[in-house]
Formats: sequence, C-alpha cells, structure tokens
Amino acid sequence: MKAISVRDLVKKFGDLRAVDGISFDVRKGEIFGFLGPNGAGKTTTINILVTLMRPTSGEAYVAGYNVVEEPVKVRERIGIVFQDPSVDRNLTGWENLYIHGLIYGLRGEELRRRIEESLEFAELTKFKDVEVKNYSGGMIRRLEIARGLMHEPEILFLDEPTIGLDPQTRAKIWEYVERLRNEAGVTVFLTTHYIEEAERLCDRVAIIDHGRIVAIGSPDELKQGIGGDVIYVRTGDKSSLMRLVEELQEDGMVLRYRELDGVLALSVNNASRVIPGVFEVANRMGIRIEEIKYTQPSLSDVFLHYTGREIRDEEADWRESVRMRHRVR
Amino acid sequence: MEGEREDEAQGEVIKMNERNIVYAMLYRQLKRYFRARSRVLGTIINPLMFFLFLGMGFSASMRGMSAAIGVDYLAFLAPGIAVMTAFSSSFIGGISVIFDKEFGFLKEVLVAPASRTYAIIGRALGDSITSALQSLLIIALMYVIVPSLRIEGLPFAIAICFITSLMFNSLGIAIASKMRSPEGFQLIVNVLIFPLIFLSGAFYPINNLPDVVKPIFYVNPLTYSVDLTRYFMTGISSLPIYLSLSALLLLTSIFTLLSARVFNRSTLD
Repeated sequence: MKAISVRDLVKKFGDLRAVDGISFDVRKGEIFGFLGPNGAGKTTTINILVTLMRPTSGEAYVAGYNVVEEPVKVRERIGIVFQDPSVDRNLTGWENLYIHGLIYGLRGEELRRRIEESLEFAELTKFKDVEVKNYSGGMIRRLEIARGLMHEPEILFLDEPTIGLDPQTRAKIWEYVERLRNEAGVTVFLTTHYIEEAERLCDRVAIIDHGRIVAIGSPDELKQGIGGDVIYVRTGDKSSLMRLVEELQEDGMVLRYRELDGVLALSVNNASRVIPGVFEVANRMGIRIEEIKYTQPSLSDVFLHYTGREIRDEEADWRESVRMRHRVR
Repeated sequence: MEGEREDEAQGEVIKMNERNIVYAMLYRQLKRYFRARSRVLGTIINPLMFFLFLGMGFSASMRGMSAAIGVDYLAFLAPGIAVMTAFSSSFIGGISVIFDKEFGFLKEVLVAPASRTYAIIGRALGDSITSALQSLLIIALMYVIVPSLRIEGLPFAIAICFITSLMFNSLGIAIASKMRSPEGFQLIVNVLIFPLIFLSGAFYPINNLPDVVKPIFYVNPLTYSVDLTRYFMTGISSLPIYLSLSALLLLTSIFTLLSARVFNRSTLD
C-alpha cells in the first residue's frame, strides 16, 4: 500500500486552477518533496491531503483512506507542520504539547512521557516552561515538528519547513527530518521552494508549476533526465584531443562536444559512468590525460529546463519578505 | 470547510476524544487567562467605575427612588454591575477565535481527529469560567461596600453570571468565526455593548417604563440575567423568576448550538 496516492486532483478557486490535475504516489518510508515556486499549488495540495480543503475533482488517499470520505481516519494518522506557526504563543512549549496530546487522545502517564520525549527530540527541555512567544523561529519549528510527531503519525506533512530560517537552523531542521525518517520510519511529505532542500532531503521530488507536476523522480534521475553532465578533459595537445573525441563519439558515449583552449567539453548523460570509458579509450590510444573534471546540473537547471524560468522569481522573493515580516511580528 | 462534510466526519464516531478535547480547550483558555493579569484587571476596572460613579451619584441625589424600588440604589445597582462584568468580558472573549485564525492555532484544532463541536464547547466553558470569576471578584467587592445584600444568594448569582457568560461567549464566537479582523469584531462589540446594558434594567427598574418600550427589554437576553441576579442578591425582581430562568436557559442553548454550527462550518481561506 502506498502512503499517499493522488489521482487527477483538481482544485479551483473561481477561475483559477490552483491544482490542475495532478497524480502521484508516495511510498511508505520515503521523503517525498514538492518543489516549486510560491503560488505553484503546493500548499493547496497539502491542505487537501490533510483534509482541510475539499478538492474540486479527483481522488486522494492518505494512509489508505479517502481524504473526502473518511477525513477523521486520515487525521488520526498524520502529523502536520504548517507553513506559518500554529502554536499558541501565549503558552509554554510544554503546555502546547500537553494540549496537542490531549486532542489526539493521549492521557495520564503516557501523555507526560511523550511530552518529555518530544521536548528532548526538539532539544527544548530546558525551555519547556518558557512562553513560545519568547522562542526563536528555529525553536518554534522544532517544537512544531516534535508536536507533529508526538502522536506517532504514519505520515508527516511539512509545508515549507525551513522558510525564513537562517542557514544553520535550516541545516538543523534537515537533520531532524532525516533522523525521524531513519529512526522512526515515518513517511515525510514536504513542500519547498529551496533547491538545496529538495536535493539534500528528498528521496523523490515532484517539480510543480502552475498547479501541474512537470517532472517527478529522484534528484539524480531528474538531473540525468535533462541529460546535462559535462566532462572537461585536458590533454597535452590539440590533435590528441581531436583523436580522442572521434573515438569516443564512435563508441556513442558523447552527445555533443566543444573544444576551447585545449580543453574538451563533453556533454554526456551520466558523467560517472562515462569517465571510466574516457580513461579506457585514452589508454588504448596512448593519450595521456592531464586533467579531468565534470559538473552535474542542479535541480535548479532541471526546473529551468521544464518550466523555462528560474524558481526564484522576483515575485516569490517579494512574497517571502512579506511573510518574514509577518512572522517576526 | 464545507459543513456537510464535517457533519459526516462527526458521524464517523469520534471515540475517545470528546472529554479530552473539552478539557484541552478549557485548560488552554484558563492558562491564557491567568497569564494575562493585566487583562483581568482591565475588565474589572470598567464595571467598578460604573458602580462607584453611578452609584454614588444616584444613591445620594435620588433618595425617593430607593423607596420606589424597595432597596437602596447601591443594592439595586450591584447585580446589574455583576452581570455587566460577566457579559462584557465573555462577549469580547470571542475575539480570541479571530486571533487564533491569525496566529495559526485554529488550524491545530481544525486538523485534529476530534469533534469541533466539543472543541468549541470546551473553549466557551473556559472563557465562561474566567468571566464568572471576574463577576465573583466584583460581587465580593460589592458585598463589602453594600452590607445589605443577601449573602445566601451569592452562589446563585454567580451561577447566573456563569450562564450569562456562556450565552454571550457563544454569541461572540459565532460572530467572530465569520470575521477576519479583530478591529471589526471590536466595533460590533462596542456598538452592541451599551444598548444591551442600558436596555436590560441594570441601572434602573423597568416596571415603571411606558409599555411601548417594554418589548425592547424583553427581547434583550441580559434583562433576564439582570433580573435573576437581582432576585438572588436583593430579593426583588421585575419578572417572574421561572420565566426569566426559562428564557435564559433557552437563549443560552440556542447561542451555544449556533456557535458550534458556525464553527463547524468555518473554513480555511
């Protein structure tokens, strides 16, 4: 059984198709990411999956239950960290966890034990009696992730888990997410518009734009899919370079090539597989390679390839700065 | 959130959680209340000023009125002020629903596998307990200032203040669930608060009013609260107490159900 299964999901707001017919599956135990700019439909999709919104059409199953027909069954099996904080700022960390536990049916000793565990996981034990309004952004995020896990959900939803956080805090949150997947085996569904986040965390990524999934796969598959590794080779002289490239082309290993100042740039599908071949051919022909290196395309090249634009447009930056101001209030 | 789906969701047997969520929300409201001590003081100061300034002025200059209403004017005014305290603090308490929307906590409740009806009941209970505590504080002060008040009526007076709080907190929640801005809600509260208090018989007896204006008093839920509280604190009343009690309980049930219904249908936007 899949952790999440979505078929032809559509959500319209008036004339706007915020989610425009998406289908995908999330396997149990994987970290699955939605990568796309703000306004791409990521949060709308999450809202439908966590039963806060009804789809216009299409079907979604979470933990095996239809989100429209059996929302309570779904709610019992998921944990959620929303994009904006949803803690009570006037209560302490401990009190927020206490209320959460009660709402999810925990009581007595069991409840108290889980609160302590959650505080420990979030490294907030020292601050458990401090009102949340005095927490930093990173502390609030950690508290929320721990809270989302407290009732031992099968699937954890993270909507832009590191938006507005500084790089160190972001790295810390990434560690948490990896830890909970590795140690607790929780399936994680996250959305992000940070390339590094998708690349670092996700087993599989769906690139979403204008409410549609334009590509889906592991970060490596996606990068290979646009066929963009480039190998740079330097040998002693130009004639040996030319002989080498002719031979390589005959073997069908090279898509395109360019020669510049005694350096050969080879476009290949998968550099890590081609490089040994390059050495082999050079060896056979008695050509000495003086230098070799390669670059891989990033997910941001993948995004550019499929959508024709950069993921971080000006509008997104503007919205994010507004959001940050909202959060620091 | 479409209402019909929530109804279905609730039909889906929400087992363990009714008691838990009522308690959770009650716990939250109480914790928040006792942490914001300035708010406690703020909501008491207003009624207290009404009591002192109105009471001093009228009891001194209208000695004839005391004879007409059967008790000293301060004793007459005291229950009105007690109800005013409960009413204004519970009604404005609905504003926290809007803050919860704005600061996100509402989502935590909306995605929980628990009944929203019970969530809102827990919340209303919590707010009403704090409002009744405020009334208790005011009433205690008034018992000190006006020794002629009947001490045996105190628990009943508090009970009426609690029911009044439940009624108006529910109304506040119902209105707030439909609104986005705290300012807008505050405006509505401010527009309603004075007419409701002045047209409730809190400050003067309604018996001697011309018949044309009496219906206005009868449609005001506060009239019944004031009359009952006054009955328990002083022994006098303008209406039969069973009529007042029935009206009060009926209206409270209606407003509670209304708030649950509106909250059940409240959506994420």
